[in-house]
Parts: sequence; C-alpha cells; structure tokens
Amino acid sequence: MPWISVDAGRWVADVELSLSVNGRSHPIDAEPGETLLHVLRERLGLTGAKEGCSEGECGACTVLVGGRPMDSCLLAVHSVAGSEITTIEGVGEPGGALSPLQEAMVRAGGVQCGFCTPGFVMTLTALLADQPNPAEDDIRRALAGNICRCTGYAQIVDAVLTIAGGGR
Amino acid sequence: MQFHSPRTENEALHTLAELGNSAMVMAGGTDVMVQYQRGEIHPESLVHIGLIERLDEIAQNGTVRIGTLVCHRRLATDSLICARFPSLAEAASTVGGWQTQEAGTIGGNLCNASPAADTAPPLLVADAAVHLAHAGGGRTLPLSEFLLDRRLTARRPDELLTVVELPDPANYSGETYLKVGPRSGMEVALVGLAVRLTFTDDGATVADARIAACSVGPRPFRATVAEAVLVGSRLEQEAVAEAGQLLAESARPIDDARGLADYRRRVLAPLLGRAVDICRRRALGG
Amino acid sequence: MSVIGTSTVRTDGSSKVRGDAVYTVDIGLPGMLHASLLRSPVAAGQITRLDPSKALESPEVWSVITAADAPSHRHGLIIGDQRILASRRVAFEGEPIAAIAAETPRAARAAAATIELAIDEEDPIVDLDLAVAEGARLVHPDWATFRPVGDDFPRQGNVAGELLSDPPGVDDAFARAPLVVEDEYRAGRQYQAYLEPKAVVAEYESGRYTIHVSHQFPFNVRDRLAAALAVRPSAIRVVGHHIGGGFGAKLDLGIEPHAALLARATGRSVKLVQDRTEDLITCPSRENGVVRIRSAVGADGTILAREIDVLMDAGAAAGDTPILCSLPLLLAGGAYKVGPTRVRARAVYTNTAPTGAFRGVSGTYLVFAVESHMDHIAAELGIDRRELRLRNLMEDGDRLRNGQELPDASILREAFTRVEEMTPWANTGLGTYRGVGISATVWLTNPMPGSAVLKLHEDGTLGVVTAATDNGSGAVTMGVIQIAAEQLGLHPDDVVVTMPDTDTAAYDAGSQGSRTTHIVGRAVEAAGAELRTKVLRTAGEMLEAAPEDLELVAGSVGVRGVPDSRIPLADVAKEATFSVGPLSGSGSYATILPGYDPSCASGMLFPAFPTPTYHVHLAEVEVDPVTGNVTILRYIVAQEVGRAINPDGVWGQIQGGVAQGLGYALYEGLQIGADGRYQQRTLESYRLPIAPDIPRVEVIILEHPDPAGPFGAKGVAEPPVVPVAAAVANAVADAVGAPITSIPITPNDVLDALERAAR
Repeated sequence: MPWISVDAGRWVADVELSLSVNGRSHPIDAEPGETLLHVLRERLGLTGAKEGCSEGECGACTVLVGGRPMDSCLLAVHSVAGSEITTIEGVGEPGGALSPLQEAMVRAGGVQCGFCTPGFVMTLTALLADQPNPAEDDIRRALAGNICRCTGYAQIVDAVLTIAGGGR
Repeated sequence: MQFHSPRTENEALHTLAELGNSAMVMAGGTDVMVQYQRGEIHPESLVHIGLIERLDEIAQNGTVRIGTLVCHRRLATDSLICARFPSLAEAASTVGGWQTQEAGTIGGNLCNASPAADTAPPLLVADAAVHLAHAGGGRTLPLSEFLLDRRLTARRPDELLTVVELPDPANYSGETYLKVGPRSGMEVALVGLAVRLTFTDDGATVADARIAACSVGPRPFRATVAEAVLVGSRLEQEAVAEAGQLLAESARPIDDARGLADYRRRVLAPLLGRAVDICRRRALGG
Repeated sequence: MSVIGTSTVRTDGSSKVRGDAVYTVDIGLPGMLHASLLRSPVAAGQITRLDPSKALESPEVWSVITAADAPSHRHGLIIGDQRILASRRVAFEGEPIAAIAAETPRAARAAAATIELAIDEEDPIVDLDLAVAEGARLVHPDWATFRPVGDDFPRQGNVAGELLSDPPGVDDAFARAPLVVEDEYRAGRQYQAYLEPKAVVAEYESGRYTIHVSHQFPFNVRDRLAAALAVRPSAIRVVGHHIGGGFGAKLDLGIEPHAALLARATGRSVKLVQDRTEDLITCPSRENGVVRIRSAVGADGTILAREIDVLMDAGAAAGDTPILCSLPLLLAGGAYKVGPTRVRARAVYTNTAPTGAFRGVSGTYLVFAVESHMDHIAAELGIDRRELRLRNLMEDGDRLRNGQELPDASILREAFTRVEEMTPWANTGLGTYRGVGISATVWLTNPMPGSAVLKLHEDGTLGVVTAATDNGSGAVTMGVIQIAAEQLGLHPDDVVVTMPDTDTAAYDAGSQGSRTTHIVGRAVEAAGAELRTKVLRTAGEMLEAAPEDLELVAGSVGVRGVPDSRIPLADVAKEATFSVGPLSGSGSYATILPGYDPSCASGMLFPAFPTPTYHVHLAEVEVDPVTGNVTILRYIVAQEVGRAINPDGVWGQIQGGVAQGLGYALYEGLQIGADGRYQQRTLESYRLPIAPDIPRVEVIILEHPDPAGPFGAKGVAEPPVVPVAAAVANAVADAVGAPITSIPITPNDVLDALERAAR
C-alpha cells in the first residue's frame, strides 16, 4: 500500500494512491480534502451516488466502506484509500440482473423520483447483510439517515419486508 | 492544504508537534468535513488519524478504556458499553443516522466540542477522563476540565486525545440519556440530559446523583447543585421538582435555527423527572 | 387482458434503482464549463459598487456577467417584476447579481467570491401586516411600471395581487346570527426539498439555445426563457431529463437564464448546479400566510355567512401568488355549506425569496384554517366535531363560492362513512394526551393542455411522443404507458415514452395539479384510437376481414373469436410502413372549465376547480407532555380518484403526499428573521420527515369514474398533502385540550397549548 511511511515516518498525500471501488482499483489523483463523492462522480464517472446536501443529512450519497454505510460526501477520499468501497454500480450485476433488494424496491413502489434510491439501496444492502430478517422498526431506524421526499417510506419498508428472511 | 495520514500514534504525535496550530485533526470527518466544505475552517493541514492502529479498541481492566477512534455505531451496539454504560450507548445511537454513526468517533465528538455533543453528558456522569498524548509524554484530564467552552477544549495543538477512560459504575446504579428533538432521529439535540443515580443497598435512598446536560449552554456540564438535592433523598416529588428547577436555572440556553432557549429551559425539569424514573427502574429493577 | 386498474411497475424503476438514470446533475458535455452565481447577501438595499474585474483575472474564468451584460427588461410568470441579474437594487437575500463561468465549479465559486460588491442596506419588509399598512415602504417603488404578461389584474404598491368577493347578505347574516366565531391562523413557509438541487446545462449554437434541465414544465422554461432573453420561443430547445423531485418548485423559470447567457458569452456548454443552501434560500417555497376567518352560526350549527381575509407572502416577485389568491375564494367553505362569504385575499410583496407553487398550493393552510375554525364552532355550540361537519357537508349540486356546481359532492359523505367504518369516531383518540382530528376538502385536476403522438414501430412496439414529464409520480411511467398499452392491446413493457423535448413533442403544461394521467391520458386515448383504426385497416387487408371484426390482443391482431387468425402486430407494422407508410396517431386534450360566475369576484385569475375530487383525512395522535413532541398513531385517507389506473401508484402518491403534509404540520418551518433572511439554511435545521416518524397511511380509494377522464381517471397525486395539517392540528388540539392556531406545530407550541388548557 503506497501510503505507508513515506517521509520521516509519515505519509503526505501527494503521492499516487489507489482507491478500490466495486472490486476495481483506481489510481487517484485528488486534491487533499476532496470528498469520496466528488472523486466517484467527477473523476471515476460513477454518478449513481448523488449529492443531495453535502453534509450528511440526506444519505443520497451513501456508499459502503468495508461493508459499512457511510455518507461519501463527508469522507475525505484519502481517508478511505485502502478500504473496499461499494457503490450502487457494484450492486446487482452490471447491465444484468438486479439484486433481490433492487428488484423488491421497484416492485413495491419504493422508487419514485429515484434520486434518493441509490442511497437507500446501499443502506438497506448493509442492513440485510447485518440482519437478514429485520423487523419494520429495525428497517425504519436504519433508514433515519436517508431522506426520501417522495414515497413516505412505507413502500421502501415493504420492499425490505418482502425479501427479509431470504427471499420470501 | 496538506493531508497527512499517520499510521501510528507516534507518527501522529510527531506530525502534530511539527505542524502546531496549522493542523486540524480529523478522525471520521463528520464534523471536520462539513466545516471544511462550508468554508468555516481553513486548515493548512489535515491530520487524519483514522488509520492509526489500536485507537479503535475498547479495553476493560478495572476501568473501561475507549479508544478515540471507536465509532458511535460501535458504542451503541457494543455489549460491554450497553451493559455498563447504557446512557453512552443511548447517546451514541442518537448521533445522526447510521452513516454518521459509522464514521463519527467518540474522540471526534469530544474534540469538536459542540455544545450539543451527545456523548458528553453520559461521559460526564460517568466521571470520564480523557488521555491527551503528545510527543514524549501525556496527561490525563477529567472530561469536565477538558470541555472548556463552545468549540473550545483544553487540547493543545500538539496533543492527541487517545483514550476516554470510564470508572465502573457503583452497584445499584441506573443511568439514562434522554435527547429532545421533534424527530426521533437525525436531530442535533435541543436538550440532551444524562442522569446516573446510585442507591443505597436497601434501594431506598439516593447515595449518589449525577446530572449532565448538553445543548443548554456553551458546553455540556454537570449540574452539581441539582445533584446535591437528590443525594440523600428518596426521590420524593418535591426533591425531584427542586432538582429540576435548579437544573433549569443552571442552564444557559440560546435561541438558534433549531429551537428556542425558552423551550430548552422549560423541558429540563420534567425531563429530569422522566430520567430519574428510568434510572430508578434500571438500578433497582421493576 | 386489461392493464387498466392493475399495478404495473414503473418503467424507469430499473434504471433508477441501479443508479444509472441520468439526472441533470449527472450530465457532462464535451468542453463543458461550470457556473456559479454571486447572490445578494442581504434582503434589501442599493448596490453601490459592483466590480468583477478581479474575477476575470483568474485564468480558469471564462466569463463574468452582470446586469450590464444581461437584458434589462423585467420578466415574470404573469407580471414582469424580476430581473435576470439585479442592477441597482436587491430585493431579497439570494437574488442573483453576477454569473460566472469557469473551468471547474470550485474556480467559478472562488471567482464569485472575488467580485467586489457593496450594498447600502435597507430595512427589509418582512411582516405581512406591516407590508400592507398605510405608508409602508415599497418593496418595488416602481411597481406601477411593471408590465403584465396578459391582462392586468388588481394590484397596488406592496399588494401584488388582490381578490375581492363581496356577495350580498353577509352583513345581514352576521347581524342576525346567534353566534359569531372568529379566529386567526398562521402558517409558515415550506421548502419543497426535492433531493436533486436545481441544475441546468445550457448550450448555444447558431443562434439557438439548448437547455437540459430536470423540469416539471419544459414548455414553460421555453416560453419564460424566451421572454426573459427577448428571443422567440422557437429559438430555445428544452430537453427534459429525469427529475429528482420537484413538487411545484420546478415549474417556473429558475437559473436557466444565467446558464443560457453564459453559454452564449463563452460559446461553450455551461453547467450550473445549486448547492443545498443556495437552493433552499432561493426556492419558490410554499408561501407563509395569515388567515382571518369569521363565521355567523345558527344554534344548530348551520353556517349562515362567513368572512375570510388572507394575506399571502409572495416574496420579492409575484410569481404565481396573485393566481393563488383565488384559492381562498374556492376553499372559503372547505367541504361545507357556509352561506354568503366575503373574501379578500392579497398577495404581498416582501423582501424575501419569491414564493411559488408547492403541491397543494395554498390549500394546505386554507384547509387548516377552515377545519380548525370548524372545530372551534363545534366547541362553542357543544356539538360533536364530526357531527357538525356532517350537518354542513356539501351535497350533489351544491356550489363553491365561485358559483361552480359540484354535481357529485355527496362523495364527501361516502368518504366520511368509509373512514367511520375503518375507525369509529367515538372510539378514536381516547386516552390521556391522545386526540383525533378529521378534515375534508375538495380539490381540482389541472385542466391545462397536453398532447401525444403514438407511433407503431416495425417490431410491434409502441412509441409515445409527448412532452409530459414524470416528476417521480409515475403518471407517465405507469399511467400514460398503461393507457397507451391498453389502446393497442400491448404489455406496458412494449411501450416506450420519449423524454420531453420541446423540439420534438407538442405543447404540454407539465407535471402540475395531478394533470398528467388525466389530460395526457386523454390525449393518448385519442391518439390510440386513431392509430388503432389505421392498424385495423392494414390488418383487415392482410387478414381479409372487416376492421370492425378484429381485436388487438397481446401484441397481435386477429379476428374476434378466431384465435388461429392472429398475426403479430410487428407484421402489421412492417406491412404498413412499407406500403402506406408508418402508422401513427395523434391526440390532444384540455379540460373545458366548468361553469362559474365570473362576476362573483374581482382579481379571480384561477376561477374554478375543474374535475373536482373529494377527500377526507383522519389523524390520531399522541403528544408527549414533557417534550411537546407529537407522534402520529394512525392516519387514514379516503380519496376519490375517478378510477385508479394503477392502484399501487395511487397508494404511493397518498403515502408520499401525507408524509409531506406531516412534515408541514410538525417539522418543517422556514422562519424569516427580522433581517429578511431564512434562519434554517441546511437540512440539519430544516427538518424533513424521516422513516421512523412517518406512519403507514391507511388508504381508502373511492372510485367514481369520470366520463371525461381516460378510463374514468381523475387527478390523484397533488391533493393527499392538502388536508393533512388540518387533521393533525385538530388531533393535537383534541389531545391537549386547547386550540392550535399556527403551523408547523412546534413542540414548544404543544407545551404552550397544554399550559393554556391547564389554566
């Protein structure tokens, strides 16, 4: 890993480093303080994560960092170099089948304008990995950091309930 | 701006010693990155400490030592914290959403020194201490002496908060953290109140009372005058009411975009009543 | 098998759930520049210095435009009272002063910060009563020179528009009434808070502008931008993209002129994206208002007469608020018979961001006022609140205050009954700190025109060319597609609808007022009938059968009753294309306004409620006596929809509409300081409803097919937000034992009300 111990026992982020996104390693040439969201959208062309508020209030930019959901608008890209990042583009098969959760989101009406949807899918993907059979309360609490202005949430909750417990 | 990401505590301390005031320490980034992107801070260097090993551990050896990088999500779900310091777990579970709880850390929450820092009241009622390391040494401060004012701590620029240390609660203790906000999540506390009560062996009398609040003054604080009223009491209605009134009087809330000072003050007394009931139930069962 | 009335899934669901649906914020074009706006930091003042020369020094900056480089005339939706860039005066915080194009968004923002700007500040006009008081300072001293787009309308000084209705008999009824009940209600501003901030990408080539935008009403962008730039509309092409929510805020012109001017100045494509705070403080939010209402009441609860006086905050530009002044007339009685009613409604200029359309325009707080007032009347008379409503409920043939007859208003009574069946009123909201509230309303379906061309592709699939927009409601991706599929006997997956493009499709009035399924659905029906006739003619020749004996089933055509005779639609399409030419049909539709009395009021710019629908909402709540927080225990909606083309779609619109109403009632408030600036400036302090707090709404769909609607459908999506604050406020008032007179209902208000009740 290129950032270890560059100079006098510390690393300064003006060396090349790489970001692992959806299993692919990308060399990153970003400015210090640049967010992961900016790098994903503007440098890697991965526009699935959306910028809704830029301060961790809406969750539209949620990605998984080592499997944990985080707001990519609040992550300095250099701070997550070395972690495995999963974005919405890494869920389901590229150009192929949707994940069961994605499929359920569409069927249950959990998608309206769709701008928040990638963030919801990421948070719920993490939830189902953690807790394959969540109750409605668990789902709603897990979603506190994801704002949907369209649906009123019930359909999103239903989407999870229909597949909870392994594809009922 | 430069971005430093030291891998060891030692590297971090040397970096801080060298950079001095020009450096901003960042752990999860949930506060720093917001301030940076809004243009509220203009650090010459960001020192990211999130990759430092062993600062994300929770250790138990007479006291419980929580590494500065332990995130809120972990605090909220860790079995030891939930069992022994439930008010801390409750507080951590109310910080933002799941995403911010995964990124935000206990050390960051304290060093950011927001008047609304959720983890501060439970740590204050736990008589927590913070370890501040610097190149070649370190010191330990009670949390109450670490949090000085709004956005101001006793941390010197060359110091790193490495560990938060909590003495075990006494037997027959019960504690809780109650957070006030219109929504049941994603709130910056309008009022945050942590209470820990310790009862005498017979369960009748309050042997020790600790009350701490956030978001009702420039810094989270212990309401010692109110505590004194409860000690020795049997939680009679009048005692609890008097403590509530003293608590409200010790608050220095302000109006802001989230809520009114009057509101913050008026909920304190009845909130204490509710907290006291929960503490009693948790301490004594039933 | 019919697809009407079935819950097909939306056709854009897959791309949205994958994250590959392209919104305007996602667009990148070759050589594209990025723009930023310098906006006024203060609410009112005179610009004394504006020098952009430092900004131009940056090698990354391509252009800086100020008022000196922009058209100087004023433009507006119905009256020219806005400028693209402020020249001498600023009238609200956030008013654009300069526009910068640079290589990167960061460079554009940095350049904006280097522009030298000095403003001689004035005390802003903020308070509505003070704004209309005698001798008030004028927000626009030159208001008299403003030119209306169409006919002029009543306006004067800070009053940007005024509706007056003064029928005979009002004073007489008040003089004789045994009881007069009087109230004042206040409502705050609500931010639409769509998740995709406003964004635009503009191109300029050979004298034509192309505007890429996620907009609810592309043709309005075309026409408004043309007027603002003083070019003809056909010089502008507006291309619509997926819309990350709009809720009314993306109906009028926004930041398109700034991007267009920069594109022309630089010869490059220019992208302008607002950050969240910029978006919030300049959004045409739902207007704040003050409602003063007074009723003359008989001892049996009959409402003999009423007076209602409404102040509506237009902000620093009229926008659509003078139009909305008609709502207090149309909703003066709510769902009830109220006798002669005097109405005065004024749109008021203030030094605040211009307000505008938000789902359920003005109705949200008018119904709150009317229904809270009903509870007050019931309390004065000691009559049960629901009973009072049933006694006064409109029946078939009753009229709104504009004279419009409602031939089917008894649907309201059916809705009350159905809600009662779900939860008996007498047993609901019982218990300490618990309460129940009920509210009802009539709402409209927007009548404005739409069109569609249906073309049969050579593979047997159907293309629908329309400028209708799907703002997320599913009106296009479910409703329009289902109606089109039904016409040709196809599966919805075999229908593709174009994204809106003003060069391609004929005029469409956008996603507003629940109009798309109803209006565009009718246009599609007509287009489908024409196409169907052509298909059957060709198929008849191929099958040697009379067209009237043929049927379209599952992508094929055959002789009715002879399954073996079926041939694929693709074969018919190919045969036609290469013999008589490709098959298509076209249709257009607009609702003719229902009859009303044009002499009933002056300033009536929105004179009737076409295609009315009927709504009853019930909320059961619990309040926390310590914190004043309100929990929604149960929420029930009975909504009349004509016919549900897609029941899941209807259900989803009701869930989402109620959630926005709950936000309006309990959490969301844009407060304006004495300095004219919003106090809530991010989504941290502007609280949107979150998943743990929003209940699953129990939905009763009432179907009374509308002969004028496609398969009977009326508008669905807008009204679920309308009666929510009313139901919640009445439930909270019931829970605490004291009236609630302002929304949003803050926890502090609840504690105040509890204290009042205890006294």
